[in-house]
Amino acid sequence: MHELFKWSRKWWPGVIPLVICWGIAAWTTTATVEADLAARSNAALKDTILDKRRIAVAGRDVTFAAEAFSEEGRQSAVASVEAVPGVRLVNNETRLVPEAKPFVWSAERDVVRVTLTGSAPLPSSKGKLLEAARNTLGSVEVADQMSLARGAPPRFDSAALLLLDQIGKLKDGKITLTDTKVNLSGMARELGGREAIAAALRNLPEGYSVAANDIKAPPYIFQAYKDPVAVTLTLTGNVPDNNAHAALVAAAERKFFSEKVVDNLKASLGAPSGFANAVVPALGALSRLSTGTLVVTDREVKLSGDAFYDAAANQIRAGLGRDFPQGWQYKADISVKPAASPVDATVCQQLFTELLSKARIRFESGKADISADSVGLLDRLTETALRCPNATIEIAGHTDSDGDESANQALSERRAEAVMDYLVKAGLPPTRFQAVGYGATQPLAGNDSEEGKAQNRRIDFVVK
Amino acid sequence: MAYLATFFWGWLLAALLIGLAMGWISVVQHGEGVSRKLARWLALLAAILIALALGHIVPGRFGYWLDLFLIMFALYLAGCLVGSWLRDWVVSRSQPAR
Repeated sequence: MHELFKWSRKWWPGVIPLVICWGIAAWTTTATVEADLAARSNAALKDTILDKRRIAVAGRDVTFAAEAFSEEGRQSAVASVEAVPGVRLVNNETRLVPEAKPFVWSAERDVVRVTLTGSAPLPSSKGKLLEAARNTLGSVEVADQMSLARGAPPRFDSAALLLLDQIGKLKDGKITLTDTKVNLSGMARELGGREAIAAALRNLPEGYSVAANDIKAPPYIFQAYKDPVAVTLTLTGNVPDNNAHAALVAAAERKFFSEKVVDNLKASLGAPSGFANAVVPALGALSRLSTGTLVVTDREVKLSGDAFYDAAANQIRAGLGRDFPQGWQYKADISVKPAASPVDATVCQQLFTELLSKARIRFESGKADISADSVGLLDRLTETALRCPNATIEIAGHTDSDGDESANQALSERRAEAVMDYLVKAGLPPTRFQAVGYGATQPLAGNDSEEGKAQNRRIDFVVK
Repeated sequence: MAYLATFFWGWLLAALLIGLAMGWISVVQHGEGVSRKLARWLALLAAILIALALGHIVPGRFGYWLDLFLIMFALYLAGCLVGSWLRDWVVSRSQPAR
């Protein structure tokens, strides 16, 4: 042992080459060690979700700065860097991603681009949203101004993805998600877009709700033009669906007995409520005009044209009756067609016969109430009656043979009187008319078929 | 430590070999070694350096260099010890034959 001390006193000269060796080792290895530890630390954090990660190594000390999305995530990230072999110290400069309260995310669309702003909870959801936006919008530029934040409500991703899908249906506008409340504003790209968005919003994840939906749609337009020269009724624009389309065309064909109906309508979503209830009476009013245009824009009905006589013009201006739906506006710009030249009684009779051969005056079944579909015909009959002011006219009511004879007689009389009332209200003197009922005594065709019966139920105008 | 050992085994081996050589020489070397007083001071210095290293007090690159030096120095001392003991063993075995 004594000898060991003796020897060790003479070990010092070896320290000189040792120090030289150490100097060279320190000089050459420091950069390698630092690069190696940085690479290993980054590898250890490969599966950890962090934002703004920065790793700097001095010697064997790692300075680790990052923003984590949860306290556990932060601690586990630090622990995994500490566990890297060779790391001596970790200077922990990590912190949590700031919390957004309220958590706001929004997507705004203008003419050229869609801008995503606000907060996203994780880099992955941010990426998902951007990718979805690019897929939905195709060639439209997508600008990303989203930042990362904690505090997103549960199921944020699916809610935001659903809302992004709706941005594609807008021409311009903004969709904002504030915590779990959705606000929408803007203009839909096409008719029905507003309804499609409203329908899609019903699929929002549980807990989410729509606070305000101010999406506007392009105007819903329906037009009808009665052309007396071509003898056509042209329908253009939108109808709610195929059933309404068929019903509307059928109604037009009943009301416009002499015109050919040209149907250029197309079915589109987004009709204002009460569309059919407004358009059918408006078509009835149009049928009373000699020439006219009906324009329905959203809930505004505009009718312009020429009525056959003064009283008709006043009636049309006055409105569309009780059936016209609430909340709709009616604007009529009606003038009166110049009176046609007077004719003698024979010509009048010819004109009556001609008109009544094209269509019959219709009544409610079994009653003496004139059907709304027949007002156009009655106005034409009135105009004709005005052209022969000296002629006396018998208004003859006829029925088919169904039912009790006396009841048919009474019904034919009441129907003839109803027609006469109409003419008197139109301003013709009651003295010119005689309302006569013939019951089923003067059939035009056999009463053994439905067709024949229909021909026998009629009103005839006979000039005396 | 394990990391340093695997990463720099070449340098550490060099330190060990320098130690072995120095130990081998020191047994038969004549002349004065380090005085007792200086040896104490050196021991104190070594203790301080070890404490600094274990306490992770020296930061960054200097800390790394200190660790590296202490490990190389420890291996050097181990080399010296083994070298001296071997030389002594060789010398003492040859003496009885004389």
